[in-house]
Amino acid sequence: MYGKYVLKRAINGIAIYVILIFIYSILFNVTMEATVRSQIEEVVRAEVMSMSNSTITPAEITRYGERRKLELYTQYKLDKPVGERILFRALNTLTFQYGNSTIIKSSSGSNGVMDIVLEAVPKTLILFSTAMIIDIIIGLWLGIKKAQKPGKTLDKSTSVVTMIVFGMPSWWLGMLMIMFFAYIVKIFPSGGLHSTPAPEGFAYFLDSLYHLTLPVITLVILGFWGRAFLTRNIVLGVLQEDFIMSARARGIPERKVLYGHAMRTAAPPIVTMSLLALLTSVSGNIVFETIFSWTGMGNLYWVSVQQNDVPVLLGNLSFTTGLFISGLVILDLIYGFLDPRIKVGGKA
Amino acid sequence: MKIIDLKNALSDFWKEFRKVKSGIFGLFLFALFLILIIFEPALLQFPEANNRWRDISYWENNPKSAPPEWTNFFSSKKSSTSSVLESPEEKDSNMGGLRMKEYTFIYNYDFDLPPQDIIFMAEGNGDPMVLLSFTRPDGESIDLIQKNYTLGDAGRLRISTEKDSKLEAIDFASGYEEYSVTDKLDPSLVNPNEILFSKAEKGMIKSKIPLKGEYILKATVIMQNENDIVKNGKLIITGRVFGVLGTDSYKRDLWTGVLAGIKWALLIGILTAIISVSLGVVYGVISAYLGGFWDTVMMRIFEIFVSVPLLPVLIVMSAVFKPSIWTLILMMCIFFWVGPVRTVRSMAMQIREETYIEASRALGASHARIIFKHMIPLLIPYSFASMAIYIPGAIVYEATVSLLGLGDANIVTWGQILSDALNSGAVLNGIWWWVVPPGLSIALMGMAFAFIGFAMDKILHPKLRTR
Amino acid sequence: MDKIKMDEKNVLEVKNLKLYYNTSMGQVKAVDDISFFLRKGETLGLVGESGCGKTTTGTALLNMPTPPGYIAGGQIIIDGEDIVPIPEKEIRKRIRWEKISMIFQGAMNCLTPVYTIEKIMMETLREHRDMTKDEAYDRMVKYLNLVGLPEHILKKYPHELSGGMKQRVVIATGLFLEPKVIVCDEPTTALDVVVQAQIINLLKDLKEKLDLSFIFITHDLATEAEVSDRIQVMYAGKIAEIGTNLQVYGPQGPAHPYTRRLLSATPKLHEKVEELAFIPGTPPDLLEPPTGCRFHLRCDVSMPQCRLEEPPLVEIEPDHYISCWRCSR
Repeated sequence: MYGKYVLKRAINGIAIYVILIFIYSILFNVTMEATVRSQIEEVVRAEVMSMSNSTITPAEITRYGERRKLELYTQYKLDKPVGERILFRALNTLTFQYGNSTIIKSSSGSNGVMDIVLEAVPKTLILFSTAMIIDIIIGLWLGIKKAQKPGKTLDKSTSVVTMIVFGMPSWWLGMLMIMFFAYIVKIFPSGGLHSTPAPEGFAYFLDSLYHLTLPVITLVILGFWGRAFLTRNIVLGVLQEDFIMSARARGIPERKVLYGHAMRTAAPPIVTMSLLALLTSVSGNIVFETIFSWTGMGNLYWVSVQQNDVPVLLGNLSFTTGLFISGLVILDLIYGFLDPRIKVGGKA
Repeated sequence: MKIIDLKNALSDFWKEFRKVKSGIFGLFLFALFLILIIFEPALLQFPEANNRWRDISYWENNPKSAPPEWTNFFSSKKSSTSSVLESPEEKDSNMGGLRMKEYTFIYNYDFDLPPQDIIFMAEGNGDPMVLLSFTRPDGESIDLIQKNYTLGDAGRLRISTEKDSKLEAIDFASGYEEYSVTDKLDPSLVNPNEILFSKAEKGMIKSKIPLKGEYILKATVIMQNENDIVKNGKLIITGRVFGVLGTDSYKRDLWTGVLAGIKWALLIGILTAIISVSLGVVYGVISAYLGGFWDTVMMRIFEIFVSVPLLPVLIVMSAVFKPSIWTLILMMCIFFWVGPVRTVRSMAMQIREETYIEASRALGASHARIIFKHMIPLLIPYSFASMAIYIPGAIVYEATVSLLGLGDANIVTWGQILSDALNSGAVLNGIWWWVVPPGLSIALMGMAFAFIGFAMDKILHPKLRTR
Repeated sequence: MDKIKMDEKNVLEVKNLKLYYNTSMGQVKAVDDISFFLRKGETLGLVGESGCGKTTTGTALLNMPTPPGYIAGGQIIIDGEDIVPIPEKEIRKRIRWEKISMIFQGAMNCLTPVYTIEKIMMETLREHRDMTKDEAYDRMVKYLNLVGLPEHILKKYPHELSGGMKQRVVIATGLFLEPKVIVCDEPTTALDVVVQAQIINLLKDLKEKLDLSFIFITHDLATEAEVSDRIQVMYAGKIAEIGTNLQVYGPQGPAHPYTRRLLSATPKLHEKVEELAFIPGTPPDLLEPPTGCRFHLRCDVSMPQCRLEEPPLVEIEPDHYISCWRCSR
């Protein structure tokens, strides 16, 4: 039952991914081709330059250049009709062949876009998953506390804070945090993944943790309010269900009613809605990395925009989309796993 | 549902809304922003700021990276404020066929930190010679500048003591200071005003004890040609603190920038929210109403849009297409409309089952009529609540795109101000008055709508209401 | 003080029970000073329009008023012990489900959707009894069989069962601690007619077999007539009439004008009725209940006294209590 559900969700996710990549290819075709053309010209010019001090005549060199150019055009299918070009590009993107960057290089010196993106992915995952975990724990805890005494001081005051931080850009708070904690009260580094030069061994781990602290704190203090508010609303909704009253009537202790019956029932929506909110907040806060010089995917967007490196920009976008959709599918799977109505099936 | 019913429903809604304090507070903030927009022309110190925000020459008379004036209140050392001395004592004379004009300005200096710059400005044309002399409260008189100027087509004379009298100031200091000190000074790093407004004594380069009192600045303009004209001379004291919110490192007045940004933020937020929520509500209702095959198709399309990582796509589209503010709003609408669809669809599913919908269908009402006359009006309160909730999101997205330097260069938005701040290292240099106000404005506007939206939401979901 | 004879044989005695809600608009007296009793092995039917305080009374009997409601006074004596002053924790452990259980309105929603039936039942059993898992399992199976369900149902989630099956599970759960009193709050409302009949028959059957005492809350007078030994009619948080089945439904007809009107507003199969009678007006606003008899505004036989003074509940014949100025003499 669940297996079928998993399969269905996964296929659905892949289908959406393919469609989106096609849309991207159509949307950005012109820009991408312009970049490829200029890259080809660059290559040809470099080859021609290297030949110029040899004995070949200038005319021959020019002819060679023209021929090389046509060769490369054919290789990148730039001579084909537009429909075929888009298809070619989309298929390349789907197989993670993002091509070469124009300026940006990976730390190993490679200019393959995939290398550059893959280098950034784990950094983003570390930063945001750490923040996510802390965020969810505090959010859940506070949300349950709020739902237990709705309308009381704690609930009301924290709800007000939720609204206050609602429209606050995380990167702005990041700027303030750096200004305060890195320049006025100098207790945190102003950014980066680790000190330079990076220490070795366990010290490296501690150093990384130290560098992680301020960005994580910033993300968490903006994030968990919303999580708490959501949890509160879901738990409060569940607490008003008949089966809660029924469980209380059966003499089940309040602790078990709350953390057992209520939380277990509220878990599927809470988990999915929290994760969904986090997923969108990751994609929405991605620029945040730049403020902390955190060289993840968000920072890569920034750098590629500044350098106008179109292949990296588009490769990064395709990869982000893939990760985002995977996240959505995983979310569905978790929901299905937590909710017996989907996991076990039967009429709902 | 008739218009009058709708009106009643809305007035009932308002009655409920009035009771929610946070909602009223949100409305109050919103009204405050509106008032600031309406009175923007009156409040702007720099009327052309909207068009010339990026025109450095428009701001040249302002101090650079100056904190707000009110910071003086908190600091023990008072910084000189900025001011313009516009009505000097004017004297025309004629000396041996040469027409001369003498402007005398009196400046009362009562601060601990001297102005960044003192600028003499005048209008006119020709190639006059200008002599600038400076008399201090201690009686010392210094000839700062003696130079020929070509006014050119702009017809504008601008003399900055900061730029043009470095050597004269050092010269003055060397009369008191030891040679070994003054000799080592790099003229390009010296602000002459720091010397000019300090007590003349040994060690003055280092300690710079302010000399308070009345300073007399005399500008003598000698017209060397027949048709040289110079008029409207004025003296601009470029202080160390400036205005309500200070200036940035491009000398722009930040209060002006923040004020000018309000209308754009509001426009972006409200327009995006109205368009996308309306689209989403109509989409959800149609999907629910049609049901069956079309519902499936529409939900599939919806799923595709939901799976788009919004900000990255917006960033890439902005980088590739370089949109104006209107195209950016359009782009946001393309992705924002999915927000309310799911909720609306399930609400519409319930409404569809109501007997009066069935009745009007039986009476032969068209689909469009049922959808727009009978179903959508019921969703209007919900739509308003969602709009309020989506406004902050739209504002933040625009700000984020602008932060990357991809904003519309013809307008001033808070995101762009912050982008400049970030790129100029305002964070690292601690120029908080550049970073805090625009971000705070974004947060405050988001807060206003969050308060309104959450209050509406509370009314619409009585189950979650606290007793 | 209403005069109600209290008896040794009573498993439940309610004396002057008051249950109020404090709302922002003011105090709502949802149940206002009512007294009644339940004999062992008897079914007492609670009827009335919606909002008259039936369900509120039911939950109050377990001493679990829905917030912001609270018990403002009175006694609930179950098996000789007043449960009102007992602290919450002890009530949970010792009273609820041990002495009094409740079968809720809408069994569909009474079972935690993410728990299996086994878990729901097991948890309840082991919360109250020191039983090994096997003992508990045996007891669960025994009671499931009693309500006509097979053992394998224990492994299922609520959503896998039909409405009737869920209701049977709820009934089995309500019975397996052998409580003194079982409150049934509209146990059949959400079910279709055939299943309704099955459940009613099951309850009657179980009552015979296990000698149970029921409080049966419903707005369906026909069901009430079928299952109850005595009927208690409530109106606006007050008791209008208590009588045996025969006294209320019998040929002589009910004594209280409200009961009369309530009965005539119920469609009957055997009689041809041109137009169904209805009770004019609406139930009173409990924020500001009418003075005197709460029914006097809608009553067709009201007298001036009705407006001024609240009629007491008096016994007009053995076991037949009524609160009405006109009809009590």
